[in-house]
Amino acid sequence: MEIRVEFYGVLQEVVGTAAAAWPLATDDCTVSQLLDELRERFPGLAAHMPRLAFAVGDQIVPRGHPLRSGDTLALLPPVSGG
Amino acid sequence: MSEQIHLQSEPLDLAALLRDTEDGACGALVVFSGTVRNHHAGKAVQRLNYTAHRGLVEKVLAELEEETKAKFGVRQCRIVHREGDLEVGEDSVLVVVRSAHRGEAFAAAKYAIDTLKQRAPVWKREFYADGSVDYQDGVPLSACCHGDHGHD
Repeated sequence: MEIRVEFYGVLQEVVGTAAAAWPLATDDCTVSQLLDELRERFPGLAAHMPRLAFAVGDQIVPRGHPLRSGDTLALLPPVSGG
Repeated sequence: MSEQIHLQSEPLDLAALLRDTEDGACGALVVFSGTVRNHHAGKAVQRLNYTAHRGLVEKVLAELEEETKAKFGVRQCRIVHREGDLEVGEDSVLVVVRSAHRGEAFAAAKYAIDTLKQRAPVWKREFYADGSVDYQDGVPLSACCHGDHGHD
């Protein structure tokens, strides 16, 4: 069981990659639980965590959203388009 | 829902958008163009790079077009954002609104660009004349505003 995690904007600099495969410890692991694991691997993410939004596929999801094997989770920092 | 493209790496084509939105019932046309500026926060900017979450930005901007038309009663609204490397003076975003009268056209165009800046998953990276590079700090996305237009 694994998901794909995509990093956008400044997060790509923080983690050094645009995307990573990530194992799911349990099915129904929430976004929040996954963030705890990501923060251990990429300590630089911690400072950005409070202002992140999340999308699974093309749908914005809350931190309590359960993740399923095969999902693509996008970590979205504050936006600056226009 | 619109099937048109809302994000492109090629230079934005205002003439094409004007052709696409031609409407004999409209007496007002308002165009907003966001243009790459040569300075930010006192620093000289040489160029920009925009990246985006393609699937989400297509969905968000298509919804924003429909929302803007419904909210202001305007007949035509198109929004296209650029991605990739842009030089000073290039258009980063175009908003085209056509309506029967000018009042709602101005209001709708302002709403569309103001809301885009809060909802579109796009990130601006600035390259400065002094050689430094920085992501511009932005607006946190909120889950409340997507697909539920009653809460904003």
